[in-house]
Amino acid sequence: MTEGLWTTQVGSLPKPDHILAARSDFARGRISRDELTRLEREATADWVRFQDEIGMDVVVDGEQYRGDMVAFFAEELPGFTQGGLVRSYGNRYYRKPIATGEIVRDHPITLDWWRFAQSLTDRPVKGMLTGPYTICDWSFNESYETREDLVMALAEVIHQEALDLQAAGAKYIQVDEPAVSTRMDELDLAIKALGMVTEGLEVHTITHICYGDFHNAYPKMLELPVDQLDLEMANSNYDLLESFREYPFTKSIGLGVVDSHSHRIESVDEVAAGIRRSLEIIPPERTFVDPDCGLKTRTVEEAKAKLRVIVEATHRVRAEL
Amino acid sequence: MAYTVTAVGSYPRPPREGGEFRLRKTLQAMDRGEATADDVREAQDRLVSEILAEQAGAGVELATDGQVRWDDPLTRLADGLEGFSVSGLLRYFDNNTYFRQPVVKGPVSRPRPILVEEFRYAAAHCPVPVKAVLCGPYTLAALSHDEHYGDVGALVRDLAEALNAEARDLAAAGATVIQFDEPALAAVPGQPPGDLAVLADVAAGLVDGVQATTLLATYFGDVTAHGPALFDLPFGGFHLDFVSGPANVEVVHEFPGDRVLEAGVVDARNTKLESEEGLAGMVAELAEAVDPDRLWIAPSCGLEYLPREAAERKLRRLAEVKARLT
Repeated sequence: MTEGLWTTQVGSLPKPDHILAARSDFARGRISRDELTRLEREATADWVRFQDEIGMDVVVDGEQYRGDMVAFFAEELPGFTQGGLVRSYGNRYYRKPIATGEIVRDHPITLDWWRFAQSLTDRPVKGMLTGPYTICDWSFNESYETREDLVMALAEVIHQEALDLQAAGAKYIQVDEPAVSTRMDELDLAIKALGMVTEGLEVHTITHICYGDFHNAYPKMLELPVDQLDLEMANSNYDLLESFREYPFTKSIGLGVVDSHSHRIESVDEVAAGIRRSLEIIPPERTFVDPDCGLKTRTVEEAKAKLRVIVEATHRVRAEL
Repeated sequence: MAYTVTAVGSYPRPPREGGEFRLRKTLQAMDRGEATADDVREAQDRLVSEILAEQAGAGVELATDGQVRWDDPLTRLADGLEGFSVSGLLRYFDNNTYFRQPVVKGPVSRPRPILVEEFRYAAAHCPVPVKAVLCGPYTLAALSHDEHYGDVGALVRDLAEALNAEARDLAAAGATVIQFDEPALAAVPGQPPGDLAVLADVAAGLVDGVQATTLLATYFGDVTAHGPALFDLPFGGFHLDFVSGPANVEVVHEFPGDRVLEAGVVDARNTKLESEEGLAGMVAELAEAVDPDRLWIAPSCGLEYLPREAAERKLRRLAEVKARLT
């Protein structure tokens, strides 16, 4: 078999109803932190087992214990204060953290969860971190003079977390930066910050970006100092491949092949066709096939169905190589 | 009246920490089929009354209803116009908030008033005058996906005609100040400034016959790319964002003597509270170019990006600055 064309995931997976209920019970003081953690570990184990069973090459822990991807880190970092509710759309609200002091890391944040997930499988489990630029962009800043000061302080603490994951044995570390595409004028800052995060890392590093106007950012985004760029391809009909023809894509790609925000389950045929289109430009040894984005907004059944399609389509194309 | 303290548009819907979030619960109950549209309207009415009283209590002299009946800054209007449908979520400028993208499917027109009834409610429940706020034709066109016109000028012309009818009705309902929001005109970080000529072509029609002070509001960036030509547009006043667009101080020297400058001076997108001294200095500087009677002071944009307590603190700070300067 050709070495390459691996299957993986962007990060989050849906929380089953009983986990959602348990989180809400915990917030209301009806169950203990220990009880919630026990349930979250069970749900994590279920997701790792599922990925093992379907043959996913690089596994994630599914983030059953995380709410918002920024607030999760802010809650663990001294220097942040929990903020009030702010609306994102319609009737949906989130607690936006406030940087009120010096941001430091006084304990590992994701390490125990990574170790737990890795203990359950022989397949590599990705370390999953939120990037400094995104944490800054989705927080209020009361304590740092400039955005850059806050971003670089965050880069240092996420760097420490990444070093701990590497030391624990993580072979893949992903640093999500979905906010990068909002402000192309700050791409240089995001590049500098990510450079600090990945400095000294010898493992395979990844960043996931979404909601973006990549045509303007390409080829500049190749300067992001990671080994792999994980990109939404399915929901933009693989438009980016045209840019890659004009200017070679020099990194590994996380090839998003199913729409994470649609209920429709893609067919194996259409996903396989998407993979083949990409292989015309990027070779299999630099290709990781995955969903467009985290799957947490789908139902458990939809997520499982989409992941099965990804694995089946990838295996079909692999067999043709 | 010098340094009129003015609200810009949106206002946070969540209660103060620990309070009951009635509107959110009612909307969730409606999703489950356990509440009716009337229940939602009643929860919205109560929240609007509360927000209006809160603004007046903080020292605001020209309030808004907080746009609490709007899902996002565009679709409340797009839904009320003929010719639109809505599609997927997009990020709203450089904010971590989203809007459903309006899609232009056919000729745009306004079959009936859209915001007039809710304006009447707000005006009747507010101890101070209420500003009516509309999304402007340029921004509505710029953020929509056009499948019908194929020509932004033609789309903006029809939008201006529809919004003019709405503005006339709002004025007839008693609105003395009517604001058109045009953030897409500003140089929002990471995006080019809007095309002023497109709005300039329709501006006269937009405000024609509207018996109220009309305001053009830009925020999230500066308008220096347009130079003084912006002020040739036939609006009674302009809202400029001096927080996200500090370069706006450059154009103030050319501000026409017969218009209102609504100066966005407190940051409506960050919880950090500005010092009274710093703000007073900034406003005093603006007052060298604009007569204080025509210099209104305001948050940089709508306050919904902040938690409730922080929003109110920002308004109080504006009132404190006014007190210090008068």
